[in-house]
Amino acid sequence: MSTVADAPLADAAEIRSALEYYAGRDWTDGLPVVPVTESYLAEFLATTSRDPDEVVFGVPHLNRQCTVRLAAINAALAGCLPEYFPVVLAAWDAFADEPYPKKGIWQSTTGTAPLLVVNGPVRERIGLNSKGNVFGSGFRANATIGRAIRLTAINVFGLRPHQLDQATQGTLAKYSACIAENEEESPWEPLHVEHGLSPSDSAVTAMVVRSCLHIEARHTRLPEQLGLDLADSIRRTGALIHETSSALIVLGPEHARVFAAAGWNKDDVRRFVFEHAVNSRSELAAVGKDAVSRHTRWRLPADHPDAVPDHASRSDDPDRVPALVAPGAVQVMVAGANNAGVSTIIEAFGPRDHAVAIARVGDLDD
Amino acid sequence: MTGRERLLDPTGFDERTADTTLAPRPAGLRGLTVGLVDNTKPNAQVLLSEIAGELSRRFGTRGSRMYTKGYFGTPMEDDLLKQVAEECDVVVTAVGDCGSCSAATVADGIMLERAGIPAVSVISDSFLMSARAMAAVQGFPGFEFIAVEHPVASLDAGRLRDRVLAVMPDVQRILGAEA
Repeated sequence: MSTVADAPLADAAEIRSALEYYAGRDWTDGLPVVPVTESYLAEFLATTSRDPDEVVFGVPHLNRQCTVRLAAINAALAGCLPEYFPVVLAAWDAFADEPYPKKGIWQSTTGTAPLLVVNGPVRERIGLNSKGNVFGSGFRANATIGRAIRLTAINVFGLRPHQLDQATQGTLAKYSACIAENEEESPWEPLHVEHGLSPSDSAVTAMVVRSCLHIEARHTRLPEQLGLDLADSIRRTGALIHETSSALIVLGPEHARVFAAAGWNKDDVRRFVFEHAVNSRSELAAVGKDAVSRHTRWRLPADHPDAVPDHASRSDDPDRVPALVAPGAVQVMVAGANNAGVSTIIEAFGPRDHAVAIARVGDLDD
Repeated sequence: MTGRERLLDPTGFDERTADTTLAPRPAGLRGLTVGLVDNTKPNAQVLLSEIAGELSRRFGTRGSRMYTKGYFGTPMEDDLLKQVAEECDVVVTAVGDCGSCSAATVADGIMLERAGIPAVSVISDSFLMSARAMAAVQGFPGFEFIAVEHPVASLDAGRLRDRVLAVMPDVQRILGAEA
């Protein structure tokens, strides 16, 4: 017998029939969901002081709104525990400040994913992983809070693949993408404090991301060498759809200490990366991205009928084309285990300068 | 234990009443003003101008006016919708050749029809599903639009003209101007 003596009894056929009901309605991301009834929903709604009918996020052009109640049903479906729900609500509050989701980016061929970064004491309280395998599997809070956003996109906003979600390929992060900052092993102030919140606050930062680049640099103690590795990855021409791009650098603790030991703070990292994330005009011409389109300002070849010169071509040094609009196009945080010279660059969608969509997690005082 | 309860529906519900009534069609296109709504995607203006030129040659429309949307991924702004509806008799909107703009182009067509203006939404045929899904979301499942062969953005003028000629019979039919 392959059972444990005190395992509970269950009617597996009935459980399966509930799972198949959801799957049959296309109310999933492809994985099984947790069945949700009014009494289970009530446990989620009890964790917040907000009205169940309050709208937390709307996409007017899709004629759809997500209420607290719908956010809770989808969080429960995703496998969240009720105590995670204030974090899910903060994630929606943060997305409300993000320019792209309400403008249709989740329908786009670009195929972005929502990424959540959680800071503050709530990480410990609900078991969010910020250390080893921070982008990996194995942690319920990370896995299900990220998935709650995806299931809401599918169910509430109708953003199903092959229908309103027209991603050409999408990204693996579309299943779930929620990480926490390793504040304890960071030499610097955490992301939410940098953006004006108190260290005792808990907060969610929401981003729209396309890809996740792995940075290996185990050999160096020199901040300039490490900084060039980061800048070289950020400037890659394949990432450029717009005139410039933006990025979140998720430094492993070891890399953060390389910078900190040399006396660099986050702004020093940002400035160095900005100054070195530059392509030459000829490098861009070689891939047909040396100009931009008149209205959308997407990169295209200078001989395209819709082409106009990019901003850099009007500068003192037109052959030097920055891949970032300003140092503030780069956010810096620390996550992962303190065990190797490994970091990650998250490519965020859109040109931007220091615009971060961040919201405080409410209803945690008890 | 709470016992057996109904499973909950996790979807948003559509508050907008379904309205699948098209604007009244004109008796003919002669002398009418054609509105062209450019969503700023590459080649949209060229495609729209070709269609307007064909309508003028074939039916004697009076002329055309080009309008430019603020952002391709969302439907026309209310002010622009009002202006177009006041200044034009029939409208063509293009080009829905991406995930968000295919849906938005169909939404534009539906909004114009509801404002009383016969409208032709032009998308590329890679985005049929997105366009249909948007029509359903807007409470107008089955809304008819034009799907030209994908791609559009990378075409030269000659190939773009071929695309236009291929769909002109559908443009005419949607506007109620059978040849």
